[in-house]
Amino acid sequence: MPKCTIDGKEVEFKAGENLIAVAKKVGIDIPVFCYHPGLSVVAQCRMCLVEVEKMPKLQTACSTPATDGMVVKTQSAAVKSARESTMEFLLVNHPLDCPICDKSGECDLQDNSFSHGKSTFRSHEERRTYVDVDMGPVIEKSMNRCIHCTRCIRFGDEIAGIREMVAIQRGNNTDITTIDGLPLQTEYAGNYSDICPTGSLTLKDFRFKKRAWFLKKVPSVCTGCSRGCNTELQYENTTVHRTVPRFNADVNQYWMCDEGRFLFRDTQSKDRVVEPRLGAVPATWDQAVESARQIIATAKSVVVGLGSDLSLEELALGQTFAEELKKAGVAVTLGSLTGAVITTEQDQPLDALLRRADKTGNLKGAENLGLKPISEQQSAKAEVLIAVTGGRVRVPASNGRTVAIGVFRAQDTEKFSVTLPLAAFTEKDGTYVNFQGKAQKARRAVVPAGKSKMLGEVVMVLKNVQIAEKVGA
Amino acid sequence: MSTSVAPQESVLSPKFYEAMKALEPQYPRKTALILPALHQAQSEFGWLPKEALEAVAQYIGVHPAQIREVASFYTMFNLKPVGKTHLKICTNVACVLRGADDLVSFCEKKLGIACGETTPDGKFTLSEEECLGACGTAPAMMANDDYIENLDIPKLNDFLERSQHER
Ligand code: SF4
Ligand code: SF4
Ligand code: FES
Repeated sequence: MPKCTIDGKEVEFKAGENLIAVAKKVGIDIPVFCYHPGLSVVAQCRMCLVEVEKMPKLQTACSTPATDGMVVKTQSAAVKSARESTMEFLLVNHPLDCPICDKSGECDLQDNSFSHGKSTFRSHEERRTYVDVDMGPVIEKSMNRCIHCTRCIRFGDEIAGIREMVAIQRGNNTDITTIDGLPLQTEYAGNYSDICPTGSLTLKDFRFKKRAWFLKKVPSVCTGCSRGCNTELQYENTTVHRTVPRFNADVNQYWMCDEGRFLFRDTQSKDRVVEPRLGAVPATWDQAVESARQIIATAKSVVVGLGSDLSLEELALGQTFAEELKKAGVAVTLGSLTGAVITTEQDQPLDALLRRADKTGNLKGAENLGLKPISEQQSAKAEVLIAVTGGRVRVPASNGRTVAIGVFRAQDTEKFSVTLPLAAFTEKDGTYVNFQGKAQKARRAVVPAGKSKMLGEVVMVLKNVQIAEKVGA
Repeated sequence: MSTSVAPQESVLSPKFYEAMKALEPQYPRKTALILPALHQAQSEFGWLPKEALEAVAQYIGVHPAQIREVASFYTMFNLKPVGKTHLKICTNVACVLRGADDLVSFCEKKLGIACGETTPDGKFTLSEEECLGACGTAPAMMANDDYIENLDIPKLNDFLERSQHER
């Protein structure tokens, strides 16, 4: 392998790797703004200038591929002074309103200014100002903070496949915008906020909600479709505040769609049922479990439907539960409940990027466990339907009674005899198999909302009652 | 007329589409035709209304925002209607050193408009221009497509008087 030297450290690299990536291998961070590993390289912000021996001028590390024997300095006096100048220039129009900016605490501009800028400033010129622009349901733009890195433009053009963000006018008047500030059209708008190195493109849903440094983070997996984008849930105490994509080269790269990004909101909506119910009427766990047990105990046959939106662990648990019912002498039909897409063969990509037709997170996993979709007929004719769901699949209509264990909205529960509320995807650990067959782990961020429980606990209380009865008898 | 590919609903004339068809073979990609297409479209209206930009975008096959981006970058494209005579006074270094600022304020006073505005009678639009490439004959301005060089206030005044009375 070819080798180069960065700040005195020898590094091996693959042909074509740029100096930023190569430096990272030996723990050297070169500051950047316009460069993003998921986008094309334009080398226009000049923040990444480094000294390369035998080259007359400083070079932009983002656009300079390492070559064998190259000697690079990232800490020389010339580099430091270039960084100071670049920072000073980029801040010429910046309002420095960090105290009221959502990006504060996770802002490249702030971090680089702190590490590489000077604390004094020579400009006395008036700064250009713009009013904030509402760019549709996802993004609000504060153009005052923009440094014209064009990451957003390139994201739209190269990744989202729509060049809706452009640079209007030029020079000091450059405005990064859609035509007349029209709403963004892409289904991937949230990524604009992730990649913006300043607080210019902010997520409306997150605006003024939480300072970034208060957020705790756990790795998760989106259960919004069969893609299974790798994500990070960011939360504090019992509230999830934001979902951001987590890099996975094979699944979602650096990106995620808006539907997936805001999925956590459903789990925190007022509409979610977080206490047991009998019909539409709230009940205690004791009452509801007793009622569910009665329904199951008096049935000759039950249909057990396990949602393809549940984790592998939950599906396996559901299977065990069904087996035990069988052993107890009940005629059990076991299968899966799915979304509109009922087999992985029917699952199609919805666009050229990530989104897929199957809007549940674990259909492949359910199939791997041998679960076949429950047909309309089977559920309609069921004497008792036990439906276990994660909130994404549809519970089919049944002429018999339905014991629903899952994540539901209030209007869903009216037709159920008993509803037992289950932890949502943000509230439990679990494994989901995406359409590629990758088993991916999601970690729990917050405790189950209200009185909802983990499936393991629900199964246990259901069984405990039975055991207690037997012991007592 | 058989070469015309004008879509029925386009605001641009068949002439536009013919001109483009003739140019297409000279350019490597269709996006390279954005500038000539914008010039051609502007020649039809004197400026570039939104509908014309959209028609150009449709012809090139890109998002209208990309056309707006290009059209707004170059000062020779007018995104607002302009007067009969469009004055573009260079205010770059050489011209300013030779008094271009005074020429601009003279025009503003005489025409009663600020830079970027059009007189109510629609006769004049006044703009500042970056370098016209006429530094050797500074100060310079363009009046529509004509260069007027070695300007001073009497010469400018004469020109405005003459244009004022032209019909
Ligand atoms: S809005 Fe953000 S991403 Fe877009 S150019 Fe400005 S700073 Fe860069
Ligand atoms: S593409 Fe699918 S998995 Fe990825 S964020 Fe969107 S809904 Fe979630
Ligand atoms: S990161 Fe290299 S020039 Fe912007």
